[in-house]
Amino acid sequence: MDSSIITDLFREFTPMAPMLVMLLGALVMPAVSLGYKRRGGVAAVSLAAIAASLLINAVLLASGYSGEYGGLFGYDAFSGLMILLFQSVAFLAALVSASSTETTRLHFGAYSSLLLAATAGMMFVATADDLITIFVGVELASITSYILAAMKRKDPRAAEAAVKYVIIGGLSTAMTVYGLSMLYGVAGTTSLDGIAASLSTAGFSWAFGIAVVMMIAGYGFKIAAVPFHMWAPDVYEGAATPVSMFLATGSKKLGIVVFFKIFLLLFVAGSAVASFATEEVQYAFAIVAALTMTIGNVVAIAQTNIKRMLAYSSIAQAGYILIVMAVMSEYALTGGLFHMFTHVFMKGGAFLIVGALICVGVGEKISDYRGLGRRAPFLAFAMLVFLFALAGIPPLSGFTSKVILFSAAIFDGDGVMTQWIWLAFVAVLNSAISLYYYARVAKAMYIEKGESEAKLKVPAPFLAAIAVCLALTVILGVYPQLLLDFCADAASALFG
Amino acid sequence: MIPIEAYLAFAAILFAIGAYGVLAKNNTIVVLMCIELMLNAANINFIAFAAYSADAIGQVFVIMTITVAAAEVAVGIAILLNAYRAKGTIEASGLKSMRW
Repeated sequence: MDSSIITDLFREFTPMAPMLVMLLGALVMPAVSLGYKRRGGVAAVSLAAIAASLLINAVLLASGYSGEYGGLFGYDAFSGLMILLFQSVAFLAALVSASSTETTRLHFGAYSSLLLAATAGMMFVATADDLITIFVGVELASITSYILAAMKRKDPRAAEAAVKYVIIGGLSTAMTVYGLSMLYGVAGTTSLDGIAASLSTAGFSWAFGIAVVMMIAGYGFKIAAVPFHMWAPDVYEGAATPVSMFLATGSKKLGIVVFFKIFLLLFVAGSAVASFATEEVQYAFAIVAALTMTIGNVVAIAQTNIKRMLAYSSIAQAGYILIVMAVMSEYALTGGLFHMFTHVFMKGGAFLIVGALICVGVGEKISDYRGLGRRAPFLAFAMLVFLFALAGIPPLSGFTSKVILFSAAIFDGDGVMTQWIWLAFVAVLNSAISLYYYARVAKAMYIEKGESEAKLKVPAPFLAAIAVCLALTVILGVYPQLLLDFCADAASALFG
Repeated sequence: MIPIEAYLAFAAILFAIGAYGVLAKNNTIVVLMCIELMLNAANINFIAFAAYSADAIGQVFVIMTITVAAAEVAVGIAILLNAYRAKGTIEASGLKSMRW
C-alpha cells in the first residue's frame, strides 16, 4: 500500500499523524458536547476521531513507513503496531461508553476528551525516541486516567479508588523521574540511541544501578507488577467498567511498552560490553515476572467480585508478558507482542460483558452470575470463550500466544535450551491454577440455578463490541498468522 | 566549587524524606506534598547534572517535570475534594473499604 497520501498531507509531521488526529479529537470534544444534548452524538464524533486515526495508522503500518521527527519521535513497525493496539482499546472503550449506565451523563464531552487524550499519550510513548517524550507521554496518559477513574460520580468506591490511583501514580512518577535523572547523569543525553551508545562504552556504574531499580519500580507500578500491584484491583473495581477495561488493557500495556523501549534497547547495546551486567537485571525481571503471575493467580482464587477477579487475572497476565524482559530475545518479544494483542480482546471482552450486565442490573458478584446461561445465552457463551482463552485453552487466541511466549523461554532461536526453562514451568503451572477460578464463573453461569429466569437485553453497542472481541479471540487463535507477521516485524524493528 | 556529590546527596536525602512521608503520613494532602518533594529531588539531580556537563537538555527536562507536577497536583486535589464529598474524609485510614 502507498503512504504518499498521508505523507503529502502531514509532511514532516507524518510520524505523529495518528496522534495529531487523536489530539484534535480530544480538543474539539468539549465543544461538541455543547452542541449535542445526548451522549450518542458525542460518542459518534469521538469514534470518528479514533477511526480516522486508526485508518491513518493502518495505511502507514501496511506500507511499511518509517520516519522520525526531530529525534524525539520515530515511527517504525514496532510503534505502528503498538499504536494499533492502543487505538483498538480506545475504540472498544469509546464504543460502549455512551450506552453504559456507569459513565457520567453530564460531563460526557469531558469524558470522551480525556479518553482520547489518554490514548494519544499512550501512542506518543509508542513512538517516543527520547526520555523526555516517554516521560511526558506516560504522564499525559496517567493524569487523564486518574480523572477517568474518578468520573463515576456519587460512588464512594470510585472516589476512594481514584485517591489511591492518584497517590500511587504520583509516587511512581516521582520514582521514575529520579531514575531518569540518574540515567541522564550517567549518559549525559536523553535520547535513547545516545544512552545506548554511551552505555556500550561506559559499562555499568552504581548510578546506573539506581536508575534501573527506580525505573523498574516506577514503571512496575504502571504495569501493576508484584510487589507494586496493590492499587490495580481497587481501581478496576471502583472505576466505571468501560474505564476499567481501558485501564486493564491499555494503561498496563503502556508500562510494558516503556520497558521494551528503554530496557531492551539498552541491554541489546550493553550486551556488547563484557563488564555490563545484563544477567542480574534479567534475573530481577524473571523474579518479578514469576511473583507477578503467581500472586495474581493465587489471590484471584479468593475473589468474590468478578471485576476484582479479572483485575488479579490481568496482573497475572502482565506477569506472563514480563517473561519477555527476562528472556530478552527477538522470538520472545514476538510472542510478547502477540500476547499483548490477544490479551486486549480476551480481557477487554470479559470486562465488556461485566459492564453490559451491570447496565441491565446484574451485580458484580460471581454469585450474581448464576443461571446466566439461560438468561443471556450469547453473553454467557462469550464470557466462557474469553475466560477459557485467558486460561489458555486451544484453539482460542490465549492458547496460541501463550505457546509462542512460553516456548521462547524454553528454547532460543537455535533450538538450544535456555536458562529460563523454570520460568516457563512456573507460567504453565499458573495457567493451570487460573483455570480453577475461571471455571468457577463458568460453573455459576451454566450449572448453578439463579433466582431469576428473566431474559436480559443489553445495549446494542455492548453487543457489537463483545462480538468484535469474540470474533478476534477465535480468529487469532486459529489463524495467528494474521497478526504474527506484524509482531515479528515489530520485534526485529525494535532489536534493530 | 561545590562537588557534584553534594548536590546528589542533598537530592537523595530530599527523596528519602519524601518517600518516608508518602509511606507514613495519614493525611493525603500531606502525601501529595511529599510526592512533590520527591519530584523536586529528581529536579535537583537534573539541574546538577546539566550544570556540570554544560548540557541544556537536563534543564528542559526540569521544566517538563515542573509542568507535569503542577498538573498532577491540580488533578490530585480535585480527586481529594471529590473523595471528601463522597466519603466525608480524606485521611488514608478512612479510605480502606476495598482490600485484597
